[in-house]
Formats: sequence, structure tokens, C-alpha cells
Amino acid sequence: MKKKLLCTCMAAAMAVSSFGCLTMTAAAEEEPVTLTVLAGQSTTDAGIEDMIDEALAEAYPNITLEWECVDWGNDFQPKMQQYMQSGLPDIMIGKAQDVATYAPQGILAEIGSEYLDAGLDAARENVTIDGKTYGLVYNALYQGVYYNKAMFEENGWEIPTTQDELQAIIDDCNEKGITPFASHMVDTWSIGNVTMQFMMNDVFNNDPTWGDKFRAGEVSFSDSEEAQTAYNYNKLIYDNTYEDTFSLEQTDCDARMVLGEAAMKVSGSWSIQNFLDIDENFDFGIFPFPNQTGDSKLIFEPNITIMTSASTEHQDAVNKVLEVLTTNKDLAVEIYDYTKTASMLKDVTPTFANPSQEDIDKYAADGMIVDVTLGNNQLVWGGFQEENAKDIAAWLQGDATFEDALAASDGRVDASSAG
Amino acid sequence: MEKKMFRQYLLLVIPGLVIFTIGLIVPLFLSVRYSVTSWDGMSVEKPFIGLKNYIDLFHDKEFIDAWWFTIKFTIGNTIIQNVLALLFAVALDSGIRAQKIYRTALFVPCLVSALIVGFVWLKMFSNVLPAINDFLGTKFNFLLFGSSDTVLSGLLIANNWQWVGYWMLIYLAGLQSVPAELHEAARVDGANAVQRFFHVTIPMLAPAITICVVGITTGSLKVYDLLVSSTKGGPGRASTSVIYQTYTTAINGRQYGYGSAMTVTLVLALLLVAMLQVNTLRKKEVQM
Repeated sequence: MKKKLLCTCMAAAMAVSSFGCLTMTAAAEEEPVTLTVLAGQSTTDAGIEDMIDEALAEAYPNITLEWECVDWGNDFQPKMQQYMQSGLPDIMIGKAQDVATYAPQGILAEIGSEYLDAGLDAARENVTIDGKTYGLVYNALYQGVYYNKAMFEENGWEIPTTQDELQAIIDDCNEKGITPFASHMVDTWSIGNVTMQFMMNDVFNNDPTWGDKFRAGEVSFSDSEEAQTAYNYNKLIYDNTYEDTFSLEQTDCDARMVLGEAAMKVSGSWSIQNFLDIDENFDFGIFPFPNQTGDSKLIFEPNITIMTSASTEHQDAVNKVLEVLTTNKDLAVEIYDYTKTASMLKDVTPTFANPSQEDIDKYAADGMIVDVTLGNNQLVWGGFQEENAKDIAAWLQGDATFEDALAASDGRVDASSAG
Repeated sequence: MEKKMFRQYLLLVIPGLVIFTIGLIVPLFLSVRYSVTSWDGMSVEKPFIGLKNYIDLFHDKEFIDAWWFTIKFTIGNTIIQNVLALLFAVALDSGIRAQKIYRTALFVPCLVSALIVGFVWLKMFSNVLPAINDFLGTKFNFLLFGSSDTVLSGLLIANNWQWVGYWMLIYLAGLQSVPAELHEAARVDGANAVQRFFHVTIPMLAPAITICVVGITTGSLKVYDLLVSSTKGGPGRASTSVIYQTYTTAINGRQYGYGSAMTVTLVLALLLVAMLQVNTLRKKEVQM
């Protein structure tokens, strides 16, 4: 009898302790976790943090994201440098080219294949170093020459593939009192951006290792005809744009384009948001800026790229955020529709009407699309491209000679690589 | 008793001293240390390179141009802001009507962040004033930030708009502390208004002039935030100040060591200018 009682007591004790353990585990799973996020955003991205918060709260209410949203161009790198001294946030959102800058420092964690598999294969190439992928590319931008379709039809202009054909359109524009190019050079980044577009088609498409050769002293801006051609296209734009381009901001510039004051704009998908906000019926297309050989490709840029800290204390929670981002298709569509960008997730297609999609599909079908991350990894943005853009602006303003601008680019060769 | 007083003084001074040391003195010494390295701001290694950074500064055209812009901006500001502030102070001290409204209107801009001021004037020059031009059918060139020839003028307008009211208040306080008997005595001696201004008012204002000149000069030498939101150092590099150049070099350009050398030279220049100004202007101050 005593034995029976003892057995019953022990069994009861085990059952109670097991129940307790289960309860504790469940409680631990639901323990509130706050993850810090540094988001380097493009102009189109501001606001997506609320969408992600909402989706995460639904799936994992115990996880809270503490966002620090900064301008990618100006503030992401300074913030990263600061956090590399004081401790990285759990999640960092930047651009694909950031992986080449920060992964070699050993501070980024590898992204799990279960999340990467949700993305397109094309998204992995430039965020993979030594076989390890450190970035989850979420969306993409296209860059090229946006053109006013109605204006092209009215004037009988065909899509130009050579410089001569482009010049013919420019001449016709000037004759008819139409500004050929909309531009906003007050934003030096826009000069840097278009210069990389030109470099992609006239330099990197022919020689993908031009940047390495530049650092090895085999080529230079002062000696390279192709690089000089790319710089010179800026003059072509400057001579055929608004007189007040150095006082004009992007929104005003895009508005003028929509209002029919200009025929073309060398830009990227970030302009679509403005175009459609100003006039949802604005009909536009896109073509690559013609190069010297007439085989220009449309530029594709992996944009929002999620990186995670190698030293996070909340890897499980970080993984859950990645899970939400890669599996919640409604969230993805909401973000793509809002940012007016292309999907980098499998089986997810934005639903917004993008008049330039027809052109993009055509170039994609012809294999005429190139990833600009190649150029951005060969010649980095921070400290190199953006500084070169200032020299190009000084040259356009007449404060420096063309040779000065080229020599200045050569002079900062040490800053041209992330390493 | 003296010991007790000393302890009390110490107690009052220590919190400020600690904050000042941690916030300014320690980073300054760290800057000096980094300035003799080729540290990129990210790596663990900070390779020692001696005085190379300082030698390179003398050959760096961008750094020299940044100094040249900063000097022009400082001289322009120091002259315009002092003259305007003094004139406004004299006008408001003359007993005109509604002087409190004028005083408030002139002072309010200095309560606004320089970042906002930069943005406001960017919009003024790019949108508002050209629209007024269109409305009136006039053809004034208001696109001051859009050309390297006019960007300095535009920035001087924006900076003076912000700070004239602040320095005006200091002059106003100085004017109001000038004893009326001195003016009375000068008047009795036959001095006219202009003579009284130059021979009584100005000498009595010398301490205020010292404060304003040193304050405006050092403030202008450190200009940065105004540029961030208005010209971003452009067009090209036409409005790149020393601090702007230092920031872009050290942070964006990942040349922390070189940027630190720029900082050290700026601090030395600031100290030198402030000491020269204080010593020169103090000699002209009148003791009552």
C-alpha cells in the first residue's frame, strides 16, 4: 500500500514538473523581444517599416522592432561605422553593395538557405562572398532613361539605341522648344547615379574588372577613353536640361517631366513613385542610355537588402523576422506596390500598374539587363562615386576642367574599393 | 573657511568639468592619436604613419579649397552680422514704436535649427522667390544656391537672417548699460550724434563687440549643419566648409585618420583666431 502511494506521488510529481516545464518553455517562447533595426532607406522606402511592424505583430506579437531609419546615401555608412565601435543592431537594411563592404569585416551573419530559397536566384550573386550569402535581397530597381511615351509617339521618335539616334531626338526637342532631359543636379547623388549608369554600359559591360585594373594601376580615368566618354555624357545632359538644374530638387524635376516639359529623364524606379503620385495616368517607358557600341543594357539594382548581425543575442527572433519577410506575400505585395519597385521573391508580383513594365519585360526577354552591383562593388559609392560626382558638378559649373575632374577621380584610387 | 569655500566651488565645478572632459577633451586627444594613423574607422588595426596625414593636408586641393570657402564665409559673416546687429540694436534703442515686436521678429530665427534654416532658404531661392519673380514679371536671379558664383551670397543671407537677432540682443544689452551721463556730457561738450556714437557708444560697447566678433568668427569657422540641408557643399565643391570636408573624408571616405588630422588643424586654427581676437579687442575695451 505504501509502495503504491509512493508510486502515485512520484508519478504526480513528475506530471506536475513536466507541466511546469512545458509552461515555462511556452512562456520563454512568448517572452517579449525587442530587435534593433538600422534601416538605410532610399527616398521610396520611408514608410515600409510600419507595414513590417504590422505584419510582424500579427505573426509574432512578442517581437518588437526598434527602427532607426536613416537616408542610405548620407547616413547609413556613418551609422554603421558608429555601431561597429559600439555594437551592431540586430538587423541592418541597406543595399546589396553594402554586403561587400561589411561582410569582410566579419560582422554579418550568414542568411539561412530556408529564407534565401524564397528569393530569386539573381538576387544572390552579388551578396555572396566565398560561397556564403550575407544579404537577403527583397526588391529591385531599374535604371535607364524614362521617356514620355505620348511625346515620343506624337513626334514620331523611335527608342534610340545609338548615340546618333539619341542626338537626333535631342536636336528635334531643341527645335520644338522641348527640354530633352529632366534633371536635378542640386542632388549630387543624381550625378553619381547617372555616371554609374554610363560607366556600366560603356566600361563595365566590356570589362567587368575595370575597377580592379584601376587599383592595379593598369587603367585610369585620365587615360581611359571609355571612362571619359561616360563622364562626358554628363555634359550632354547638362547642355540639354533645365537652366536651373542646380537649384532643382527631384520632386519638382519629376513634376516637370510629368507635366510634359521634358521628354526624357535618366533616372531609376525611385522616380515612378513621384510620376504616379503626380499623375496616375502618366504614360512612360524606359530604355537604357545608349552607349558607343549600341548594345546598352537596362540597369537592374537589387535594392532593399536585409543583413543580420553576427553577434545578435536574439537569432531566433531575427529568423522569425526573416520568415515573415519571405513568406508573407501580402506584405511583400504591399511593400512593392508602395515603393513601386520590382519583386525579388519567387511567385510574388506587384499589383501596381507600371507603364514601363512592358519595356522591362522586353529587355529581360532579350537578356539585355545588367546588375549594377557589379559596378558598385568595383568602384564603391561612399568616398569614391559620390566624391567624383562633386568634381563632375564642379566641371559642369566651369569651376574645374574636365582633366581636373578625371585627375581627381584618379587621385582617390585608394578609396575606390570597400576593402 | 577658505577650504570650505573651495570645496563648495569644486562641488559646483566638477559635474561640468566631467561632462566637458568626456565630451570634448577626451575626443580631442583621441583625434590627435588617430591623426597619426591611417585608420579607416572600421578595422581593428590603426597603423601608425607619423605625420604623413599632416604633410598630405598641405597638398590636398580639396582641403585647401574648403579652408578658402570657410575663410570667405567667416569674414563675410563677421562683418555683415556685426554691422547689421549693431545697426538694429541702435535702431531699437532709439525708442521707436513697437520695438518689442521688431526685437521678437529679429530674434525668432535663431531659435530655429540651422538645418531647418538651410531647408527654408533652399525652398525660398528655388521655389518661393522665383514664383514671386514670375508673378511680378521681374527677372531677378534668385537661384543663388544653384551657381558656384552666387552660393556664398546665398549662404550669407541665410546665416545672417538666422543670427543677426541674437547678436543684436547682446549689442542692445550693451547699449542699455551705457550711462546716460556720458552722452549728456558729450552733448554739453558740443558733440553731434555721429561723434557721440563713435566716441562714446562704440568704446563703451567694446566688451560686447569682443563677444560678438569672437562668437561669430568661431561659429562661422564651424559651419556645417546649414550646408547639409541647403547646398550639401555644392554646386560641386563650391560651398564645402572645413567641417563638411572633414566629415565626408573621415566617415563617407573611410579615412578616419586623415579626417582626424583635418580636425586637429581646425581646432588649432579656432584657438589661434579666438586668442588673437580676444587679445586685440580686450586692449580696446574701456574700464569704467
